[in-house]
Amino acid sequence: MAQLSTKVKLYCEASSKVADFGLNGNVQLQDDSDGNGPYIKEWNVTGLAQPTDADLTTYDAAATTEETNNTVKNTRKAAYGDIGDQLDEIFKDIDAWKVRIQAIKDANPKG
Amino acid sequence: MASTIQVDTIKDIGGNTIISSNGSGTFTSNLPASAPNVSTATGTLPIANGGTGATTLAAAGLANTPIWYAKSAANQTGIATATATKITYGTEVIDTDGAFASSKFTVPSGAAGKYFITGTITWLSGSWTSQQILYIYKNGSNAYAEYRFKDSTDMGMTVSAVLDLAASDYVEIYAQQPSGSNRDTWSSPYTFYGYKLIG
Repeated sequence: MAQLSTKVKLYCEASSKVADFGLNGNVQLQDDSDGNGPYIKEWNVTGLAQPTDADLTTYDAAATTEETNNTVKNTRKAAYGDIGDQLDEIFKDIDAWKVRIQAIKDANPKG
Repeated sequence: MASTIQVDTIKDIGGNTIISSNGSGTFTSNLPASAPNVSTATGTLPIANGGTGATTLAAAGLANTPIWYAKSAANQTGIATATATKITYGTEVIDTDGAFASSKFTVPSGAAGKYFITGTITWLSGSWTSQQILYIYKNGSNAYAEYRFKDSTDMGMTVSAVLDLAASDYVEIYAQQPSGSNRDTWSSPYTFYGYKLIG
């Protein structure tokens, strides 16, 4: 199951709103470590009602895809290496660099 | 040069006897029994006036109690991203008043006052980097928070504050990480402790 924060983020984006989960953000999520999992503690998104559980369930598949893609992005980013090293690689042999980057993309496809 | 004054009565300027003697080693004192005559004080001594009886700071009401000290018992896994999550401290080391349970300190009856409170946490290693928040929660809501940016190694962080707490108030430690994925703590261990300040 996708993270609550990802589903809330997509729920807000669907209404052109931004969910800010920071200390003074407009959405506060909380988990009391009591086995009941995370929940929405505070909701202050102007012009958008707090979602119900049913609302959020409709975003579960999309949220899972987004999280998978984020994992892929991070994996690719780590494999690409330091940007300075890549510039040096491009300068020396840009075609070889293209081949290496494409191989990383192919090995880590997005959903 | 040695000298001696011999009298059988000491009086004040109004003629009132303060101390008298029968000349055979028996003395009668008319000094008040309460302070500043601390020579007869027992139990809770008025320390500010000096005292000679056996006592302790605690007996004089000067102890920093209640005190609690707990530490993590295991890694806390699956802390969701962008979610303030209660940190569990499963090993209780000190709990003078039996007021610490379920990783929560609750002020006992008669122990209201100012408390020094500290919570620590260690995030498990990983290449993820993000701005962490560590909270002291009072009665279920954020009372104080500190930020720290985690680099790509294990990272410990601490939050401390002095809070005015009434009887039945409770404090807990919460942590938040915005990395985009579930994260774990590292039970190295990290700790949650505090005590009531004198005064």
